[in-house]
Amino acid sequence: MTDAEVSACLARGRDGDEGAILELFHYMYPHITKLVRANLPAKESSEDLVQQVCIKVINHLHQFSGKVPFLHWVSRITVNTCLNQIRYEKHRPEIRLGDLSEEEANLVEQLATSPVEIDSSEKVAAKELVDKLLSSLRPADRLLMKLMYLEGHNIEEISSLTGWNIALVKVRAFRARVQLRKRYALLMKETP
Amino acid sequence: MNPIDHQLNRLFRAAAKAGVDHAVASPYGLETRVLAAWRTAPHFGFWDGRLLVRGLILAALIMGISLWPTFQSTPANPFSEYLQLADSDATVQIDNSP
Repeated sequence: MTDAEVSACLARGRDGDEGAILELFHYMYPHITKLVRANLPAKESSEDLVQQVCIKVINHLHQFSGKVPFLHWVSRITVNTCLNQIRYEKHRPEIRLGDLSEEEANLVEQLATSPVEIDSSEKVAAKELVDKLLSSLRPADRLLMKLMYLEGHNIEEISSLTGWNIALVKVRAFRARVQLRKRYALLMKETP
Repeated sequence: MNPIDHQLNRLFRAAAKAGVDHAVASPYGLETRVLAAWRTAPHFGFWDGRLLVRGLILAALIMGISLWPTFQSTPANPFSEYLQLADSDATVQIDNSP
């Protein structure tokens, strides 16, 4: 959908056109789902959260000023909804070597002993290990690390997606990286 | 580079290859639920928030312009006449004191 098509759809949606609302829903649904799955709170169902975000966006269309692209506005609502959902999630599991699966433990050992890149056949184990490491961070830091290292967004893009200013993104990224390094170092200490 | 940083970067690069599963089609019923929520929500329509704010600003401007001449004709201190009277009254009282 081009920007002009989105604008036309928004105008029709604001006038109460149900077809336009459906078009917008189908346009933003994959984007919202991707973001929600990346920031899913531990005990939350992704479908419930996606529905919550979709309803919030559709019911606040009149507040969209058009100063930023529509999907960026949707991203900000999604990110804030996810962060609000996990704000009170106090439990930050401290990851131990014993909590890892055999593949993940092997991966940690391989990282410590060999300087070569991890084989792509182990990408699933790597993803699970990263998810476990990130689960010990604060929600905002977790989101930032995922956007930066797993999805490859740069600081400007993250600022635009989250609504945080560039300085805040840089500070948060630095602190999150320090925390992650500490968690990983603890894990490394336990490796034989 | 710190060896831990190097290892973390390699781990992230491998994890990024796994990617994120993208949903293309919405689950059954979600579309209906979102539409139902949209239908029941109060919509501003023509009288949306921005129009209301603009209307209020315009009303305040008109009120300000219409009251401007009244403010201009009012003396600087509306109590000055009263103070003059009070002053002269005090003088009279002093003059008549035993």
